[in-house]
Amino acid sequence: MSECQHQWELTNIQFGFVVFEKCFHCHELRTYFSTEEIPILGDKYREGNHYWSRVENAQSFRFDLLCTKCRLLEKFDDLMGFLHCTSCLPECEVEILQKKYEAEKTWLLVAFGFLPQVKTKPIPTYKLDMLTDYFNQRRDTSRSRIKIVPFDLIKDLSLCKGDFIHDVEMLSLEPPKGRKPVF
Amino acid sequence: MTTQELIENIGLKPLSQFEHREITGVFVSDMLSDVMANAKSGNLWLTVQTHKSIIPAANLVDISAIVVTNGKQVPQETVDLATRYKIAILSTGLPTFDLVGKLYGLGLRS
Repeated sequence: MSECQHQWELTNIQFGFVVFEKCFHCHELRTYFSTEEIPILGDKYREGNHYWSRVENAQSFRFDLLCTKCRLLEKFDDLMGFLHCTSCLPECEVEILQKKYEAEKTWLLVAFGFLPQVKTKPIPTYKLDMLTDYFNQRRDTSRSRIKIVPFDLIKDLSLCKGDFIHDVEMLSLEPPKGRKPVF
Repeated sequence: MTTQELIENIGLKPLSQFEHREITGVFVSDMLSDVMANAKSGNLWLTVQTHKSIIPAANLVDISAIVVTNGKQVPQETVDLATRYKIAILSTGLPTFDLVGKLYGLGLRS
């Protein structure tokens, strides 16, 4: 185990889009990061037995973390983004944790990986801890703290109405009407 | 300069309940990804966006206050979430460019 008290900074920052695609044959969902300048919504194509259609694009960014002390570089290609819990499912572990941590002035965010890979290869806990450390190093922790938790704490992904922190529908100045489930 | 001094100097309208704090600089953007990548702790964030998701984004990078410019109406849902996080949402009818000029005149920088 490293003895370095890591001081993290963002590096290899790349802006682009998180693309959400749905197979209209089996309803499977997949997501990936794209650096296309103008991603086309509604684009349809066949891949094997799947008939993919782009259902949403979200402007986002990806990054790696670099320790400024020991130069350790940790890649975060597997991180799709962060989700803010909207307390839509009272029995959900995320909501339960959120209430507990809120009393301690610690705010929870859920780290999501790309689908479908993240279902079999979740983002490792040590990387979530690195993200937690990084965002806490970036703030006045005497006021409040951040904690990054894994997405598999979500009770039922098909019912989750959490808000991803990315720029979907931010291209309109009007807030979206209603809240669709995440997936 | 603190958020309290800023409100008094420029006449911004507080919408949420929050704790006053020191402003470390000014960040202007309407993209959450840009804020998450580049804003600094204690920054004043100027934006025309009013989506509820600006609050967790601001909280993630420890923004001192969000100023919604151009007289944009902020939904109550956004204000309530800001109060919960104790993040200041301030409103102004000034265009972003004009507000930046005033902030620069007060000595605030990026």
